Amino acid sequence: MVEPIVIDGIVYAALLACMTIGFTLILMSTKIWNFAYGSMATAGAYISLTAAEVWKLPIYSQILTAFVLSGLISFALYRFLVRPLSQRGISLDGLFVLTFAFNFVLLGFLNIYADYLTNVFKLRARLFFLRGADIQIFGTPGVVIISPLLAVSIIIILHLFLTRTKFGTAMRATIENPPLAGSVGVNVNLVYSITWFLAGGLAGLAGALLPLWILCYPNIGDVIMLSVFAASILGGVHSIYGALLGGFIAGLAEVWGTSALAGVLGSAVIQYRPLIPLIIVVVFFLTAPEGITGIEWRGKLTKRIRKV
Amino acid sequence: MAAIDFLLDMLATVGVFLILTLSLNLDAGYCGIPNFGKVLAMIAGAFVVAFFPGRILAWMLGLSGDFVVDNASMIFQINNFLASDLLMSVALFIATIIVAIGFGMVVGYVSTRPAVKIGSGPLAITLLAMGEGMRVIGINYAPLAGGSIGISAPDVFAWAGGDRFVVASVVLFAFSIAVFFYVNRLTNAPLGRMLRAVRDNEIAAESLGINIVGVKLKTMMISSAIAAIAGALYAFYSGAVISTAYTRASWTFIPWAMMLLGGSANNIGVVSGVFTFVLLRKLIVMYKTELSPYLPFDVLWLELILYGVMVILILLYRPEGLIPEKRTKTLDLNTIKKLQKA
Repeated sequence: MVEPIVIDGIVYAALLACMTIGFTLILMSTKIWNFAYGSMATAGAYISLTAAEVWKLPIYSQILTAFVLSGLISFALYRFLVRPLSQRGISLDGLFVLTFAFNFVLLGFLNIYADYLTNVFKLRARLFFLRGADIQIFGTPGVVIISPLLAVSIIIILHLFLTRTKFGTAMRATIENPPLAGSVGVNVNLVYSITWFLAGGLAGLAGALLPLWILCYPNIGDVIMLSVFAASILGGVHSIYGALLGGFIAGLAEVWGTSALAGVLGSAVIQYRPLIPLIIVVVFFLTAPEGITGIEWRGKLTKRIRKV
Repeated sequence: MAAIDFLLDMLATVGVFLILTLSLNLDAGYCGIPNFGKVLAMIAGAFVVAFFPGRILAWMLGLSGDFVVDNASMIFQINNFLASDLLMSVALFIATIIVAIGFGMVVGYVSTRPAVKIGSGPLAITLLAMGEGMRVIGINYAPLAGGSIGISAPDVFAWAGGDRFVVASVVLFAFSIAVFFYVNRLTNAPLGRMLRAVRDNEIAAESLGINIVGVKLKTMMISSAIAAIAGALYAFYSGAVISTAYTRASWTFIPWAMMLLGGSANNIGVVSGVFTFVLLRKLIVMYKTELSPYLPFDVLWLELILYGVMVILILLYRPEGLIPEKRTKTLDLNTIKKLQKA
């Protein structure tokens, strides 16, 4: 039997990595820090709850539903709000305010849905997990094996998609230089729409697996959002591979780091876990704002050696 | 009687939100800093009230016991003392406000410094994370503000007896008027033009010799100090500090909604936005109780959706708000000519 804290770390880090990849995709393509991204993951978590408790279906059969639903929310945010507003020449800061406000709309709907499930179906929808509904693989909960596999396979699929397909090339071109890509015939709006849909879908996937191990509530995505920011910054905001790495490092630092600190300083430290993303953000902004994938390690090392 | 209660409540609510929104207008409206952590400075002010005045008085009166554990009995004795001593109450009130201003400045500097050179998105995130972090510390570190249960603050208005809330509301509102004149003076001075220059085009502003990082840091320090005043006043007004109540939704998002509704970078607009919004909220609260039996969920969430949708609609259809931004007031031509002659 694996220790619960080990499982905690692996599941949290893997799902955080999934979310960070999506978040970084949006950031790379449209330069928008999407403050509503976390709540899209919560939508996925509620799809899982509904699937398990209301529809009585196996959870893993419905993760595609979560993918599509969160993807559609994200797509709608882009298509009906972000794009019209940027066409009217709103500043980038204005778009941050837009996603910030949209987050509260989503939070409102999620809370209403949770209340609805509680009152109508008599479920524990405000504080729940679905560990019992998980499958067992070799005596361990399935999510421990499936979530890291999911994160790694997402990055492999994205890598193949971006480098091997024509649309992926168009996507990279759009990320690099939107006007130039548009002038050679790439449909920039379509690329952005697909990026937002994919990114939202990844949040939904991560969210759908979240309640299989981690305690969920309507604001969980909003809370994890801070870790996603930290992971994305840690990975250097301009690379999906960095996002995967950043997600794993930030997630493991948060779970295992706090428990290690608790072993040294006493259990009171555990409550301060939400401060870890903040510390990561502050430390990286002050020392290496380009993130770990942006640091030129070789140059730095050789400089050091030459100095010595 | 009910009308007077309503009016007083309105006065206090408008007062605290006016101070907060004016400070938000200074950094987000004029200087273009996407400050999603307004709650941070507000909590800072509240923590000063939770931490300092009670302990100082307990020490002066020679009360024994732990301030957090024996909070209720100690505050009772402190309030009995304060009720008979007007001078002491006023001195304590002013001293606490001054400490809150100082702490607000420190918090403003510390929260802005890490990301100020990197960009507006990173800055927004750092501020947001700092606000949440401060709340986490407040909830978990009991000596600061009583942890998740909260803590009572000394009642500096106790000398007014039964009219306590009247005095507190009037003081709160008076402070908001003073802040209005201060911010208005600040933004109509050449400083206001400099802030707009930084907001509208950083490169152009830099080429004119404006130190952008310095301007942003100083603006955040001033605006955080103002927001800390709001936090301290509100804590004195309500007589307690409960860390869990300082949420992003109620103390960051609602000021943003008020500012965007009224018109950013326009102080008169902000005042109109705050009044409209507070009235709207009172109406919602009135109808909430009538609506709630028919709905299978808490009406609170409907309110949150309403505010979010309102902000989105404002951004879509009237980004300039109720009263659009105006050019900075300058001296009229005759005055300038007279000055030139002299």
